[in-house]
Amino acid sequence: MAPVGPRSGDAIFSSIDRVNAELFTLTYGAIVRQLLTDLEEVEEVNKQLDQMGYNIGIRLIDEFLAKSGVSRCVDFKETAEMIAKVGFKMFLGVTASVTSWDADGTCCSIILEDNPLVDFVELPDTCQGLYYCNVLSGVIRGALEMVSMKTEVTWTRDVLRGDDAYELQVKLLKQVAEEYPYKDDE
Amino acid sequence: MGREVAESCVDTMLMEMVAMYSGRFYANKPELAARRIEAIGYQVGHQLSERYTMERPRFSDHLEAIKFICKDFWSEVFKKQIDNLKTNHRGTFVLQDNKFRWLSRVSIDPSSENETEDPSTPGESKAAQAVSMYLYFPCGIIRGVLSNLGIPCAVSADISSLPTCSFVIRVKA
Amino acid sequence: MIVCVAVVGHQNNPLYIQSFTDADDALKLHHIVHCSLDVIEERVNNPKKSGTTLNEAFLGLLYPTVNYKVYGYLTNTKVKFILVTTDLDVRDTDVRSFFRKFHAAYVDAVSNPFHVPGKKITSRTFAQTVSNIVGSYGLN
Repeated sequence: MAPVGPRSGDAIFSSIDRVNAELFTLTYGAIVRQLLTDLEEVEEVNKQLDQMGYNIGIRLIDEFLAKSGVSRCVDFKETAEMIAKVGFKMFLGVTASVTSWDADGTCCSIILEDNPLVDFVELPDTCQGLYYCNVLSGVIRGALEMVSMKTEVTWTRDVLRGDDAYELQVKLLKQVAEEYPYKDDE
Repeated sequence: MGREVAESCVDTMLMEMVAMYSGRFYANKPELAARRIEAIGYQVGHQLSERYTMERPRFSDHLEAIKFICKDFWSEVFKKQIDNLKTNHRGTFVLQDNKFRWLSRVSIDPSSENETEDPSTPGESKAAQAVSMYLYFPCGIIRGVLSNLGIPCAVSADISSLPTCSFVIRVKA
Repeated sequence: MIVCVAVVGHQNNPLYIQSFTDADDALKLHHIVHCSLDVIEERVNNPKKSGTTLNEAFLGLLYPTVNYKVYGYLTNTKVKFILVTTDLDVRDTDVRSFFRKFHAAYVDAVSNPFHVPGKKITSRTFAQTVSNIVGSYGLN
């Protein structure tokens, strides 16, 4: 039998359970606001959002691998493309693009033009320094760590801060040799 | 139809929000964690009620507002209606969902947070604790909706017969 | 021409008020908006007197003055929207469509996680959207 290639993000998105983005967007917004109230320091809020994202990422990677039919990518380049083309589409319903590769293929940018997290959001002046979407960088970091890639993910552009797009720089720090996991039960 | 996202995004986000507040921030102060989680739900309910009542005439009494939650609001958020509504006609309403979606889909496994097998806290009750912490979120949502519709109330959840979940609304006189 | 629009909270607290005239009549317009709140109160408490369908958000013409016509709209969440126009010949459908768009813009503005319920709406996006809605009023 011919190997089944990875499914497109569109196909997966249309076949999985979906909910109104409003619930998602407003819930995330309420969490950010509550964190700002409880933690006071914007830096600390950034950290917690990233941590929350990291934990979400290590949960979502299984669903990603199972639903997409992607066999574990070996190559960082291929992996980044998969995140952008399939990952963002199947979870958030938006597409992202990968650009700005460095010479040795260990650092790139993921660009997001549309981002459901920020529908309705306008940052007040008191929130300078807040990376509102920091959960996303955490998700990518967490998910990649589960496929043995240790990365550093940072925001380089943010529409809420006046830029024209959302841009995440993903830098591969270390690729751990794949330890063979137990075979998944089918 | 408006924009949509994968349901697992909402599920995992809620799980992590609960884990953050009840596990990391206020591990020893469950009542504080509960209050924060409820407050997050309240804001969401407040905002959603503004959206979902946009196209409808004003409710003329409490029962109409509660029915709106049971039918339209529940359908928007959970894709099903409340299965049973009871009231004592004196300001208490019980909304029963026979298969509350967030409980059937969300597995709050304390194992990922804390791997140690501690015999003094049986997994059963720990899981139950996590679930009840989690339920402060939908309780907050309901209270947020009703409060924005001019009905101050207290909301609690009863999960004594899972997967059925009942939300008890007590309207403040 | 629309000369003033306003959003007023459930405790009659002003959430947003904007006039669209060159003349220095903001104070007068604010007064008109203020007076219209009583009319809304009365309409809602005595629904039979009004010609509108029971509990419909759109309240119709609240009262005419010599120079203005004032229209009102009341949401389920007890937020009032007011429209003051100098037009003599007003089409009902235009006013209804205006309020629908105004209401939608308001809902988006209060969906901002940083908006505090009951506080004035300071969003620039909202101000821009409202001014666009006012600009396109009656054009379709």
